[in-house]
Amino acid sequence: MISFTWLSAFRPGDKTIDNGLTEQWIEINGYIKITPENIIKILNPNPEFGQNVMTSLPMIIAEELDADWQKVVVEMGPHDSVKLGPQFAGGSNSVRMYWKPLREAGAAARQMLMEAAAQAWTVPIEEVTTKDGKLYHEKTGKSGTYGSFASKAASIPVPKGVKLKDVKNFNVVRNSKKNVEGLKIVSGKPLFGLDYKHEGMLIAMIEHPPGFGMKLKSFDASETLKMPGIKDVFVQKLYEEGFEQGGFDTRTFNDLLVVVGNTTWQVMTARKKLKLAWEPAGETKNTMSGRDGKREVIVPGELESTDAQLKKMQEYAKKPAQQLRKDGDPETAFKNAAQVIERTYNAPFLAHNCMEPMNFFAHVTDEKAMLVGPLQAPGWTKPTLSKLLNMPADKIEIQMTRMGGGFGLRAYGHYLFEAALISKKVKAPVKLVYTREDDMTYGIYRPMYTATYRAALDANKNLIAFHVKGGGIPEHAIHANRFPAGAVDNYLAEGWQIPSNITIGAFRAPGSNFNAAAEQSFLDELAEAMGKDPIDFRLELLQRAKENPIGKNNDYNVDRYAGVLKLVKEKSGWNKPENKKYSRGVAAYFCHNSYAAHVVDMIMKDGQPYVERVFSVIDCGIVINPDAAANMVEGAVVDGIGNAFYGGLTHKDGVVEQNNFNRYRMIRMYEAPKKIDVHFVQNDIDPTGLGEPPFPPVFAAVANALYKTVGKRVYAQPFMSQLTALRGF
Amino acid sequence: MITLNVNKKIYNVDVDPDTPLLWVIRDTLGLVGTKYGCGVAQCGACVVHMNGEAVFSCVTKVSTAAGQKVVTIEGLSEKNDHPLQKAWLELDVPQCGYCQAGQIMSAAILLKENKAPTDEDIDAAMSGNLCRCGTYLRIRKAIHLAAEIQRKGGKSQ
Amino acid sequence: MKTYTKRNLLPKKSITVFAIIIMVIAFMSFGLKNKSTIITARVENIGKDSIESVAAFMEVYKVLLSPRCMNCHPSGDVPLQGDDSQLHNSLPKRGKDGKGIYAMKCSNCHQSTNLEGLHKPPGHPNWHLPPANMKMVFQGRTPSQLAKQLVNPKTNGNKSLQQLIKHADDGLVKAGWNPGEGRTVPPLSHEAFKKAWITWIEKGAYAPKSK
Repeated sequence: MISFTWLSAFRPGDKTIDNGLTEQWIEINGYIKITPENIIKILNPNPEFGQNVMTSLPMIIAEELDADWQKVVVEMGPHDSVKLGPQFAGGSNSVRMYWKPLREAGAAARQMLMEAAAQAWTVPIEEVTTKDGKLYHEKTGKSGTYGSFASKAASIPVPKGVKLKDVKNFNVVRNSKKNVEGLKIVSGKPLFGLDYKHEGMLIAMIEHPPGFGMKLKSFDASETLKMPGIKDVFVQKLYEEGFEQGGFDTRTFNDLLVVVGNTTWQVMTARKKLKLAWEPAGETKNTMSGRDGKREVIVPGELESTDAQLKKMQEYAKKPAQQLRKDGDPETAFKNAAQVIERTYNAPFLAHNCMEPMNFFAHVTDEKAMLVGPLQAPGWTKPTLSKLLNMPADKIEIQMTRMGGGFGLRAYGHYLFEAALISKKVKAPVKLVYTREDDMTYGIYRPMYTATYRAALDANKNLIAFHVKGGGIPEHAIHANRFPAGAVDNYLAEGWQIPSNITIGAFRAPGSNFNAAAEQSFLDELAEAMGKDPIDFRLELLQRAKENPIGKNNDYNVDRYAGVLKLVKEKSGWNKPENKKYSRGVAAYFCHNSYAAHVVDMIMKDGQPYVERVFSVIDCGIVINPDAAANMVEGAVVDGIGNAFYGGLTHKDGVVEQNNFNRYRMIRMYEAPKKIDVHFVQNDIDPTGLGEPPFPPVFAAVANALYKTVGKRVYAQPFMSQLTALRGF
Repeated sequence: MITLNVNKKIYNVDVDPDTPLLWVIRDTLGLVGTKYGCGVAQCGACVVHMNGEAVFSCVTKVSTAAGQKVVTIEGLSEKNDHPLQKAWLELDVPQCGYCQAGQIMSAAILLKENKAPTDEDIDAAMSGNLCRCGTYLRIRKAIHLAAEIQRKGGKSQ
Repeated sequence: MKTYTKRNLLPKKSITVFAIIIMVIAFMSFGLKNKSTIITARVENIGKDSIESVAAFMEVYKVLLSPRCMNCHPSGDVPLQGDDSQLHNSLPKRGKDGKGIYAMKCSNCHQSTNLEGLHKPPGHPNWHLPPANMKMVFQGRTPSQLAKQLVNPKTNGNKSLQQLIKHADDGLVKAGWNPGEGRTVPPLSHEAFKKAWITWIEKGAYAPKSK
């Protein structure tokens, strides 16, 4: 990851932060460049979509480098997996996967600078110290900036196995630092893919079929072509027949009707003049690549409707399913139970609704390709781009802009491929733009889920068996090895799925975002049936899992799980009399390597259930940037409330019934809580991940609070479909 | 040819008069701080000021803006030191940042007309602006802080 | 109304009858004042027809309680939206003058004309709700309540009878029949509505009985 031959970073859009500073950057390693004047530039390797890695990852480097954070400038790194690592934002993995490599890079660079000073001063390196970007030799009183030794340091071989700082002595990490792009954001500088401009750039839009399972039958573009600024209208195939797709090559439509013109508005207006005929596509096939060679996946041809989907799910729920985990003898336990509690939960397809709609810029020539825009995983798109453009990967350059939201949707590269193919066809630089309607109706949704939970209690109201049978279109959400697996003698987890032509993809905490909602609501109901406090009930089960765990592969750490529950109980004043005026709901979950627990305090406000306060406790190990981390948790809570109350797509004969924000309701300022109290468990565990873990338990905490507020349990999301009180816009 | 006054500069643009002001600002004038989020006045990412009022530029035709005084986020203050900008930075409000220009422009009208807004005033003024990342609590706090900065003599328009 | 003829001399019997008649008229006037509405301008006695007036008002009522009219005459301080009359997305508030507040004033989104395309805000140069001190609520009003409210200058925006008649041709009223894509028009055509409106007023502006 450390090399000396690489040149200056790309600059998406406008000037970078170092505007006005000297261009004499001396590269110490792939991440660090220093000027003779001692300005230190640190590259952020990972794509930024609001998780603030642009600040936190450079902080890690600056810490071990012992740089003065005030003098550090940060720049987005280019796509270069040799120098800059995996460069993939997703799975709450950015900090977790870069933690050690960046510490090593910073420490190694510091070592090289110390070596350079030691050589220049002819003193032993053990006597050289550093502080805030300067080197010192105490004995002789010599000192010098990093900048003055940068040139010399750059020629020193990169050391391996350099000692890292004690995490208790951090000066930069574990201290709140401001967002390095804050000023650019509030002053309207070009930052996002949609802001990117290029000389001679054309705008392209795709007229997708109106619904899933449809394809273009015929089109008449004669009126469109007459419109001002319009260059071309054509059909472009995305993948050839039999093209082997990887997991993130998902696409909904393969035959793309493209309109190309000069400006965004011209193309938006001209599109409307297209005369189009669509027809059912019928059953189709996707060829998927895999470790064991390629396989064919049938894509159903039916034009689906939500009502029919719900009915089908009810049928499938009664059929035998795939066993995911079994402990003990659940069948007998249920037979002998004194009481069986069974509940079924449902949740709809969700649209990611990133604030910045999908877009990508591509400039493809015969020799090379340059792509600029918002994406989460450039590395996963290169192989496909290479195949589609018939161009070696090293001739394809991808610049990552800041993303106006990702949430998993921008991990799928179809829009890069589309932009590239369009640019190649029209032989010009092109920015492909999705309107909000295009974006919301394209697919790659969070799947439609259901789960039936059953619990068996004996005569003394002890939990003797637990059964979850989950299904989904097109996949279920069940994580079979998660709590309460391991805490119950007899346990059964099953899953089933119904294939669909509605495309799906990762959505903030895939699977977990529903699994937690259902499971944590069910545990609440169980606790009530057993006459137990919901937090105490969970802690009892966790204690059981610690003392006498059942089965193998219990995918959680009991102490850390119990830890967040205990802390949220304390911080929320769970049983304090002054909190009685609130309807309180609690939920906790473990996913993406971190633990989260929320207490939601709900009241009725203007005739509508309103979350006034939330107490959130997270255990994600070492927190790099505490205030920004709190921002992330607040955001996950608001996101969870909004999606739980309102989120959801419905279909009628393949057509999505919500295509903009007037129909797809999003949470707004007046519904956001007054207070979200965030606490991080203090420990020195290597950072585990924060983007997703706080999100899944919010849904159930809200549902459990709703029960106390309106006296009714909600089993289907969005909750507004169950409560008229939530419905009045 | 339509004459526009944007951020105190005069532009002559040759565009269809029905073009939404948003797209003229972004594509023709190259001021990309104002964002496109929905195109139907539902998300507020496109809010700019016209003659001292907030307008949703995605539904405002450029012909309506002809000869009017338009201010975008880039022109909200000379040195990016409007009390709102200061407060936003002080409280580290943004996550992805895409909605924030619109949020600030809407908040600027609130602060112009109400020097000490309550939470209720903020809710009423700001509910046209969506934030997908959920920074509403920070926005609220930042507006209160900006009001305070303004009261203490910070610059504003 | 009964007519009566003057007699030369008023014998006792005649005085009694006269008195009774006057009392009856007084009672009837009083009764009229209760069941019907106070009409500020003079309406010709000829042509008043309570039955026809009320029938016409029931047609008017259908229109006024349809989304295109009722949505901007809500009972609360947030306009309604859509054919299902939900609270307007983002909850813009009435404000003092009915034109909204802060960065959510009506004209911040609603342009002077409709815009092409679904889901875009409908338009008119004077988009607003009734002001806070004269809310002119339609939502939730019974026919009886609404009729009385419409004819009373204290509750109808200080309109005289003539102004009330003219109001049928008000620009914003007419805009209800040009609502933009995706919105239904009122159940009567504007012409039919205007006819019913005027009939109602000219036939005495009677209010239906309250139930």
